[in-house]
Amino acid sequence: MGEYKLDTVLSAVADPTRRAILDRLLVSDARVTEIASAFPISLNSTSKHIKVLERAELVRRDVRGRDHVLSLRAEGLGDAVAWMQRYREFWEERLAALEAFVLEAEPEADIDADAGSDASTDGIAR
Amino acid sequence: MTPAVGVSRRIRASAERLFDAWLDPAALTQWMRRPGDDAPVVVADARVGGGFSITMHGPTGHVVHVGEYVEIDRPRALSFTWRSEHTVGVDSIVHVTFTPDDDATVVAVRHELLPDEASAGKHRAGWSEILDRYVDEYGEEAA
Repeated sequence: MGEYKLDTVLSAVADPTRRAILDRLLVSDARVTEIASAFPISLNSTSKHIKVLERAELVRRDVRGRDHVLSLRAEGLGDAVAWMQRYREFWEERLAALEAFVLEAEPEADIDADAGSDASTDGIAR
Repeated sequence: MTPAVGVSRRIRASAERLFDAWLDPAALTQWMRRPGDDAPVVVADARVGGGFSITMHGPTGHVVHVGEYVEIDRPRALSFTWRSEHTVGVDSIVHVTFTPDDDATVVAVRHELLPDEASAGKHRAGWSEILDRYVDEYGEEAA
């Protein structure tokens, strides 16, 4: 994944108005004017938000006659999902290792051999 | 909210013992590494405002994680910033909580990305919902 691109995606979705626009586009494609009328901000301000989303490649704009129609480019969000998955695995592994460490380093008296203390991810409470 | 991941694990040890393992450099070299990797090099100035660095040695090279302690509330909660090449130069924050549960402690990690200042505390709605719906909509392609 392009890391600069992920950075751009994450910055783009840090804004609540832009998230709301993405939310709206998850439902269906929409004209720019429809989006603008759905939010209590100016058309000009809406356009700026849409440009940020286009630069992050989260939204595509198609010109159909006089209408500018926006649609979601959901594959852009896939990078963010992949980032989250990577860190989920990272911390799951760390907590498994933490368990193995504390149980091996100084077993407490009431703890018998705990089958779940290996470093596999099988025993992880989610 | 900002993009975040949360994981937890119930471990049969006291909250104090588990909490201390997060701040003691000698302990961190033992568990803050991937299975099979060499021991990381850990420097930790364990006080609020103090910094840490963890240099992990993996098969693909060194990865340096650095951050600063934001909250140290032994043995209940620990928060620190976290930055590495994997956070793409974007600040992130890790919250760890330790909740006693019978003879064990539930250690919960919540790792949040902070793409900009504005998202740090003010905008607490939207992201997870969007991603959830995205995953519903596009399923396997997300992984």
